[in-house]
Amino acid sequence: MARWGMVINLHRCIGCYSCQIACRQEHFVPRGIYFNRVLIAETGSFPTIKKTIMPVQCNHCKEAACVKVCPTGATFQREDGIVIVDDKKCVGCGYCAVACPYQQRTRFENSKLEYFPGQGFTPYEELGKELFPYKHGTVLKCTFCMERVDEGLKKGLKPGVDRDATPACVITCPTVTRSFGDLDDPYSEISRLIAEKKATPLHQEFDTEPSIYYIRF
Amino acid sequence: MYQRQPFEYMTKYTQQKNWIDGRGNFIAFAFFLGGISGGLFMAAAYFDSLLGMFIAWLLSLCMGISYMIHLGQPLQSWRMFMRPRTSWISRGFIFIMLFIGLTFITLILRKWFPDASGAITTFKVLAGIFAFAQSIYTGFAVSYVSAIKLWNSAILPILFVVCGFSGGIAILLGISLNGDQVTVIENVARITLIAFAVILIVYLWNATYSSATAKNAVARLMRGGIGIVFWIGVVVLGVIIPIAVSVGTYFAGEASSAWLLTAVVTEVIGGLSLRYVILKGGMYLPLTSGE
Repeated sequence: MARWGMVINLHRCIGCYSCQIACRQEHFVPRGIYFNRVLIAETGSFPTIKKTIMPVQCNHCKEAACVKVCPTGATFQREDGIVIVDDKKCVGCGYCAVACPYQQRTRFENSKLEYFPGQGFTPYEELGKELFPYKHGTVLKCTFCMERVDEGLKKGLKPGVDRDATPACVITCPTVTRSFGDLDDPYSEISRLIAEKKATPLHQEFDTEPSIYYIRF
Repeated sequence: MYQRQPFEYMTKYTQQKNWIDGRGNFIAFAFFLGGISGGLFMAAAYFDSLLGMFIAWLLSLCMGISYMIHLGQPLQSWRMFMRPRTSWISRGFIFIMLFIGLTFITLILRKWFPDASGAITTFKVLAGIFAFAQSIYTGFAVSYVSAIKLWNSAILPILFVVCGFSGGIAILLGISLNGDQVTVIENVARITLIAFAVILIVYLWNATYSSATAKNAVARLMRGGIGIVFWIGVVVLGVIIPIAVSVGTYFAGEASSAWLLTAVVTEVIGGLSLRYVILKGGMYLPLTSGE
């Protein structure tokens, strides 16, 4: 069984937010919730200012802290390593959100928040509620576009290679910053990138073994 | 209200908000009630105070209600029994339910079947075990979170238990002012108060050495926005006033009810303040840096 993972090459990221927007479109993510975020920071003081861009999302850790602390089993890990939340079981205690060292989980507390405040829900938002009926009070997070991956595999496509089987953030990126594939396959593109470019995940000291690796400066 | 800017996740220590802001406040309150209820039951069972055990039972029920208010989907709460093997929240939920059930049986036996001393003792001991478990699990639930260095300390569960016991014994003292055991309870209260103060100091001192994040969090506790709650709520109301009253009554020989009740109230406020500042003080590492 494959273990899906991602490599993000920070040398290439231009901070265009297209991955963040693609993710919102793909999953009809409600306002105030982020499955995928592009963080841009300017540090230092003139004239030695440094601009850092970092796209972040759920790391789908192999030893996920969120899975261990979940009191109901709502957060669980599939055989392919994707960590997901079953909203039918989630009680919204927020323990997983507290335990995540990467702060990539959000409790969906305000289902009445509109994209255009005071103007009601747009037809797009109404459609989203039908396709992705996120439950109020439960915890939401990135799913590694598991619907796309699963459908693609059924059609015999290869995730990370074929567009229809690859997460939306990866296929949208105009600078090919992101690569998706099987971490357990030593010949996959991402395994090669991790080895050649010495990519590392965030905060290895927590021993969560994240599935997202970064090629850093 | 200060709005966190997106880039702060990567460049600054960020405060945990899930368990303190908005409805998250109810979990701090539930942890406080769990601690004080467990402590009160243990003390009341030892001194055989029916009223004390009853109040402990009521406080535990209030804890359950506070917990439910915190949950996003309270109707699904029965599912929290499912994962005691790995989740402290699940274990805690089981402890609370068992404590409430066993204490209820103890109260019925003690009130209506006072001659069944064997059964009363058995249920008291069983309920006492789960009172302790309910009291300590809140500390374990918090200290298990390795992402927040201030919480990730083996001293925290002990601090929460001693704080709960200290608050519980204070309440027992308040309801036993006219009883003949008040002197003994006062002595126990003095010891637990001093133990609480010592453990609090050791916990904070230890945190400053454990990691840069925890040190930063302790500095924030003492000097930042929550410093007022820490100094006035925890230190003055929770430690200094109760200890001053305890020492004063020890040397005076006899204390006035007004002073003792003041100490009881301030200590309970101190216990609540402690839970609040610990949860509010939890900080995450910036995403781009290591310890």
